[in-house]
Amino acid sequence: MSAVAFKSAIDDAVLDELRSIIGDERRLLPNLSSRVNRTRVPAPFPVHRWAEHMPDVAVLPVSAEEVAAVVRLANRRGIPVVPRAGGTGLSDGAVPLRGGILVDVKLMNQIHEIDLEDRTVTVGPGINMLKLNEQLRPHGVFYPDDPASYPCSLVGGRIGTGGWSLLGARFGHTRDLVVSMQVVLPTGEIAHVGEGGGRKLRKSSTGLTLKHLFTGHQGTLGITTEATLELAPRPELEFAAFFAFDDYMKAHRTTGALTRSGLATLAGVVLFDEWKIAYLRRDDEAYIPQPDDVRSVVAVAAYGTRGEVEAAAERIMKLGRLDDGRYLGDEISQGDWASRHDRYATPLHGRDLEGQAVPMSWHCEDAALNYSVLPRVREEWHAIVERYRREYGIFDDWGMFAYTSGAGKPWGDYLVEIDVGIWEQRLDEDGWRAWVSCKREISEVSLNHGGSITACHGATREGDAELVPREMGSSWPVALAIKRALDPNNVMNPGKQSFDEAYR
Amino acid sequence: LSSAEPRSGDAAKGPYAPDGDGELRREFVERWRDNAYGCFSSGHKFCREVCPVMQVTRNENHTPTAFHANIVAMEQGLVDAEDVADDYVHCTGCGACELRCPNTLFTGDFYRHRTRTVDVVKAMRALMVKTGNERPGWRRWVERLVEAGNEPVLGEVPVEQEHVRDWAHGLDLPEGGETIMFVDCEAAFYRTSYSRAIAQLLMKAGVDFGLMREQWCCGGPAAEMGYVDQARAFAEHNVADWRAVGARRIIAPDPHDYIAFTEDYPRYFGADYEFEIVLGVELLGDLVGEGRLALTEPVERTVTYHDPCRLNKRKGVHEAPRELLRAIPGLTFRDVDHVTQWSYCSGGGGGLPVEKPEITAEISRRRVGRAAQLDVDTLVSACPWSERPLANAGDEQGLEVMDLFELVARAAGIEVGGHARAPAATEAGR
Repeated sequence: MSAVAFKSAIDDAVLDELRSIIGDERRLLPNLSSRVNRTRVPAPFPVHRWAEHMPDVAVLPVSAEEVAAVVRLANRRGIPVVPRAGGTGLSDGAVPLRGGILVDVKLMNQIHEIDLEDRTVTVGPGINMLKLNEQLRPHGVFYPDDPASYPCSLVGGRIGTGGWSLLGARFGHTRDLVVSMQVVLPTGEIAHVGEGGGRKLRKSSTGLTLKHLFTGHQGTLGITTEATLELAPRPELEFAAFFAFDDYMKAHRTTGALTRSGLATLAGVVLFDEWKIAYLRRDDEAYIPQPDDVRSVVAVAAYGTRGEVEAAAERIMKLGRLDDGRYLGDEISQGDWASRHDRYATPLHGRDLEGQAVPMSWHCEDAALNYSVLPRVREEWHAIVERYRREYGIFDDWGMFAYTSGAGKPWGDYLVEIDVGIWEQRLDEDGWRAWVSCKREISEVSLNHGGSITACHGATREGDAELVPREMGSSWPVALAIKRALDPNNVMNPGKQSFDEAYR
Repeated sequence: LSSAEPRSGDAAKGPYAPDGDGELRREFVERWRDNAYGCFSSGHKFCREVCPVMQVTRNENHTPTAFHANIVAMEQGLVDAEDVADDYVHCTGCGACELRCPNTLFTGDFYRHRTRTVDVVKAMRALMVKTGNERPGWRRWVERLVEAGNEPVLGEVPVEQEHVRDWAHGLDLPEGGETIMFVDCEAAFYRTSYSRAIAQLLMKAGVDFGLMREQWCCGGPAAEMGYVDQARAFAEHNVADWRAVGARRIIAPDPHDYIAFTEDYPRYFGADYEFEIVLGVELLGDLVGEGRLALTEPVERTVTYHDPCRLNKRKGVHEAPRELLRAIPGLTFRDVDHVTQWSYCSGGGGGLPVEKPEITAEISRRRVGRAAQLDVDTLVSACPWSERPLANAGDEQGLEVMDLFELVARAAGIEVGGHARAPAATEAGR
């Protein structure tokens, strides 16, 4: 059984039908540039095969009803539908693999309600977190979803990818911050999912907990059209401290000690490895140069009331120095933390095998890993990238970060990233295949160490997607059954995460 | 399952179709490809939510990232100027995207790199003109510009050379001299109070200056719309006029003119460009700071300041206007910092109001809305281009829009004269 249509399924009759749904030519975009510019995200992209990833038509709906009508049309005719919010993801959630109708939700960026009594804000999926927080600021509250893409990613994409937040240890990640939401299902019905039947409830035991099913599905189970989000009190005080170490293992132990400290205000801990420090030293404008004996850095942040954070800061300053850690001073600590969204990846830092600067595309390969395996995985990942770097000359190792990942329980597991520079201008089919193979090897290491392929980016593209069944193991048939039940015609973002297996 | 095939014609163009325009496209792509790739490959997209047009249309085609990605796509033979022409109209040339680009912010100094998007848009518009993909509104506008020698400013004063100095009626300003004040078309024919205010302030401070013998448009707007040859012709006329009267120093009160004189003209004339260009607001700031101009008349208003994009984002000028406002007695000044204002704009620049007046109006509406939240009675700008759309939005929301020079002139006890606005019936985008 296979039920996925192709680009040729979009003809004038379909366009006419879309026109009658959308009713505004400016929001129905079948022209070439609209398709070309909704083809990629910041993940590495096979530029030489650009046309294969183009949608046939993009629509910019303004209501859940419009989204639902478009999806019903697609489901009836067997046309792929790909949801897209900011298009800032680091995997292929918003990239069409089989053309079809791209549902771009950026115009759905309204704030519908700010409820200061029950502490929620209800928004459309097209709003950006920075913009949202500008509106929330006068009320003394904020929405604490804080990824590296904070200035540009949109709420809908955060929900679709199951995003991770730099402040997640203190405030939770995207899925913890969505109280309830409205979703257009692959068959076009509009459903409200939350805790039980609640819209502003944080916990219920009625029915099934469907909310988490609709976060992190990479656009394969539906399109979020409205979300009711958590409002947190604006912290009275933010504290950040950066500590330098002459040895990675000392930094690793310090990270463990900080996360096990029991400090409730701990917002996050970030561990930089020696490759990352070397990468940042390539440009003394981007990172104030550290002496050569600095091999690793631990950054830690605490958010909360003044009394709590001042007490936590004292404890953090002690813990950070216990294992020969050296405080890097207020300038780096406050400055680098404040610029945490912008700081750590630039295409200008790319170097070829001779050390010459070449423009490289940044790719961040992520995994979810336990604390205990971080040192070993780090060695294996760097060895893989080094092998491909030497063999192909178009890759570059930009180092690794490990970030606390458990919401409210930061001690056990980490979002781990290795940043790889890719010289896309030199990318041909061989180079692309090499990248996919490199990516697969990195993911296999994660699985071999009891980890997950991805903590937040999504396992959507080849190199990751084929490993999803292995990682899911005995729960994979359950996932397939859910996908098939909700999306009987496999129209919702088809080709992602190996979900095609549900239709064989 | 079959992978998708491109729709007929999608990839059939080839990088440089042999139709006579191929060489132009090749030159364009070669000139801009590495700059474009710096954006394409980083994919940060931090520019988007500060882009005034994107904030309104929310259309990914209208983003700085698309303006760069299209060049990579053009190199791949996927798109051509005709496919993207309408997209590149959606830019006010404000420069916010360049400032917000992490490549510029964090590594720009080290690598001597600044992401250039405003120039990319101008270059694409020039390619559009050369390849027959010009926009009809801009073409008509430039035709009328060439015919009259000045912009087709909408208002009551006929746009003709014989009226180009009407604004200065009664001021007895001389012609020529070592220092020339260049008067922007909008300020000469429409917001004449602007020109009268700066002229009288300079006179009161004892600054000697004259007007041009024959003042044409600076040529900047035509250059922004892609009409490079026409813009160049205007520049050559103006420079010849300056030289003919022995001018050495040009006062440019208008930020758009200042950009043309400090960025476009040096490119046209290279080393053969001997003029000192002085920005009006900075000169005024100096005069007040040095005590040559006393601001003694209280102005009982509560104001906020709109950072004109070409001052703040393009030229980094944000202190001088604020210092002037703080020097005005009686004024309550509710400031919004200049970095927050990277995402603000009037929508009046880059030719947008000519082709897409509804977007300009909405950008201004939002800007005035932000000012209204501060509980002020006046929004002060320092750019006549911004003041037409902002004033229209101000009418809707009950907020007065004034120019900084007009306000400073009041504080200096000057009866400005002229008119800040034409009757409402003639309002329209320029």
